[in-house]
Amino acid sequence: MPRVSKGLELEGTVLECLRNATFKVELQNGHHVLAHISGKIRKNYIKILPFDRVLVELSPYDLTRGRIMYRYRN
Amino acid sequence: MNTVQIIRVDETQWQALSDDVVVGEADLSQRPDGHRFVSIDVWDDAAFAPLAAAMLAALPAPLRTLVPGEDTETAARWGRAGFVAERREWEYVLPTAGVDARPAPGVTVLPAGTADEAELRLLDREIRAEVEAASGWHTMPAEVRPGPRGDTLIDPSLYAVAVHEGRYAGLVRTVCRGRGPARIGLLAVRTAHQRQGLGRSLLAHALHALHEAGTTTARAEVDQSRTAATALLEGFGAERTGHLLHLVHP
Repeated sequence: MPRVSKGLELEGTVLECLRNATFKVELQNGHHVLAHISGKIRKNYIKILPFDRVLVELSPYDLTRGRIMYRYRN
Repeated sequence: MNTVQIIRVDETQWQALSDDVVVGEADLSQRPDGHRFVSIDVWDDAAFAPLAAAMLAALPAPLRTLVPGEDTETAARWGRAGFVAERREWEYVLPTAGVDARPAPGVTVLPAGTADEAELRLLDREIRAEVEAASGWHTMPAEVRPGPRGDTLIDPSLYAVAVHEGRYAGLVRTVCRGRGPARIGLLAVRTAHQRQGLGRSLLAHALHALHEAGTTTARAEVDQSRTAATALLEGFGAERTGHLLHLVHP
């Protein structure tokens, strides 16, 4: 198997639910990213709401975009 | 972008690689009821179709997936891979203020955490069997497998119960999550006790209790075919905030 690299994963807090199933998330470093829900989360009927603490994987092409991989228990 | 290479990581995961960077991932989950659900996440549109093709070639039909209704781009991608709409689930937000919490005549609502646990578990089993014998759990948002006791109750303290004609006849499960909206996870009434105000009494009780606890809104999901349930929610001022599309590759 080739040596592969994945996107950076950072914790953050959901600030706002936007259109088209997208969320504004404030990362722990203070940066804001636009993130959508990963298919794995959606498959498990996990809902994402403002104030949720989440784990975001950043896009390797655009560090202002990400994917919510995990929702922590508040 | 360079050519996308698809690799199967294990029995349930695929990756799309471009220049040794993961630009897409696909995942398979098998539910306890045997339904197989797949998901695809890509950073580059070009990775979606080959990931879908790899999964479809490797897995037996039918395969299912879930897409937010407003995400028309993702729904279109799945459509191009041969997936079609199977059902739709409305998502609602309900205000908790201004609810008349008086139950219907002849109905008593036991607040969450006060019902007899053995009777509550029996009620859950009875309702579960009635749903399975009628429309079936496949029309519900998610099936929950029964535990060792044959019921699906994990935390009995979350359930308020409607008592009618001396019997436990309906239940509502409410879950609070920090500062956000609460969730009405399940509202069900035994068949023989329906159309007598139990559902309305339970929902009114749940919303009133949330309001008293300082929660201003609650969320709920309903299959679009369930007109009685949607009418009940909308009667309490519920507003549709979106919907979830269930797609299937037959």
